[in-house]
Amino acid sequence: MVACLTIPAFALRAPLLRRPELAGRPVALAPAPGEQALLGSCTGAAERAGVRPGMRLSEALATCPGLELVEQDPAGVEQEWEAVLRRLEGAGFAVEAVEPGCVYFQTRGMERLAGGLGQALRRALDAVGPEWGARVGAASQRFAALAAATVAPAGRALVIDDGETHLFLEPLPLDVLPLSPERREELSELGVKRLGELARLPGTAVADRLGADGAEAWRLARGEGDTSVAPRRPPAELVETLTFPEPVANELTLARALAALIERLLARPERAGRAPRQLAVSAKLVGGGSWRRSLTLREPTAEPDRLRLALAPKLSELPAPTAELRLELGELTESVGTQTELVRPRGSRLRERLRGGLRQARAAVGMDAVCTVVEVAPWSRIPESRAILVPRDD
Amino acid sequence: MVPHPGEQGHSRSARRLNEPRPVQVVCEGRVPAAVDRVPVIAHRDEWHVADRWWTEEPVRRNYFEVVLETGRNVVVFRDEASGSWFRQAS
Repeated sequence: MVACLTIPAFALRAPLLRRPELAGRPVALAPAPGEQALLGSCTGAAERAGVRPGMRLSEALATCPGLELVEQDPAGVEQEWEAVLRRLEGAGFAVEAVEPGCVYFQTRGMERLAGGLGQALRRALDAVGPEWGARVGAASQRFAALAAATVAPAGRALVIDDGETHLFLEPLPLDVLPLSPERREELSELGVKRLGELARLPGTAVADRLGADGAEAWRLARGEGDTSVAPRRPPAELVETLTFPEPVANELTLARALAALIERLLARPERAGRAPRQLAVSAKLVGGGSWRRSLTLREPTAEPDRLRLALAPKLSELPAPTAELRLELGELTESVGTQTELVRPRGSRLRERLRGGLRQARAAVGMDAVCTVVEVAPWSRIPESRAILVPRDD
Repeated sequence: MVPHPGEQGHSRSARRLNEPRPVQVVCEGRVPAAVDRVPVIAHRDEWHVADRWWTEEPVRRNYFEVVLETGRNVVVFRDEASGSWFRQAS
């Protein structure tokens, strides 16, 4: 069977777990900096006070003056989600992560290990932990499993037997379908409000009227969804973080800090010569919140210059001064063999000797003995604010 | 138990370059006469720095560039908030 585990409003739950003082209070996810002033997810208390996700911020504050806003923290959310996935993988599940708060896995192997389907699903919920309010659905195909997880109560599992998929899907509202709000509205105006009503329509007519999205929704509503799960390979990530003594907004300084992080990551022994295919740069912003950008390289590379060229443009998208910069290398290649140059570039021998000398200095004095000077505010009238020392590993 | 490779994150803090270091200064009037018990033989420069007055930690310092009896050129400043003396490269 295919199981789907969901954690509703994950992007809000993740920061709320670190702020227990907000438990039970009306809280909503603040709009992202520089974007439309629309609320993100909100807690049950906020919904009871009349606040809805997607509401204008001004309207929400007028509706519920006591509404607390939590800054969006995409980097923190990504980390928390990765921790959830690793706990599931640690419990023996091969997971396919769709987005933070939604993951699929096959139950067959774990059923034998845990002593039945129910026990396997319980094991998944226990692995995630009760604080997340996760729910899990299991069915013969993905969409039915997702729908079951959507209607299951927090901390519980709902299993849909193969023969009952149609019966289960029939009364569900169209909200569970991956349809745009406009398409859903269109169907609603036609009097189609439940999956069963959509499934009973002729497939060609639905495709004709609503296009490919509608045809796919019709197929899902009839219980003809995909049954396969493509588990991810647990990522072997390397992470380096640099904390600034004071927030930095200067692009040049950030670029230098990024270069230092790249050097440190490439020097990590556990990389063992392998090249990364995925990169993610994230930052803790001054005044709370975080920022994160990830990118996949066309060809894996461990050349610092190419990594710098790929990542540096992302730094210009930082919305606020940065207190901490973090770099992750993911999806390291299996092989280390690369075509090397026939003629060594000028100065490479000198650089090797310099690296050897630095290694010796580090061995004698300590890991933080060798540093790069990074100018932070060269114009400052306070001498100690002009530059910082960043430890380097190469 | 073998730790997950992704958990082996390294975090080392950057530190400031040219942090002020406390120093013992004997004054004559308001100018330094000795730094760490070494007499001052010449005053080369003097300037005032007032910065970050808009924050909760404003900086107000009186800098002196002096030549010691040993021939060394040093820069010291008096922090107006604490009244303490510090040595720093300019």
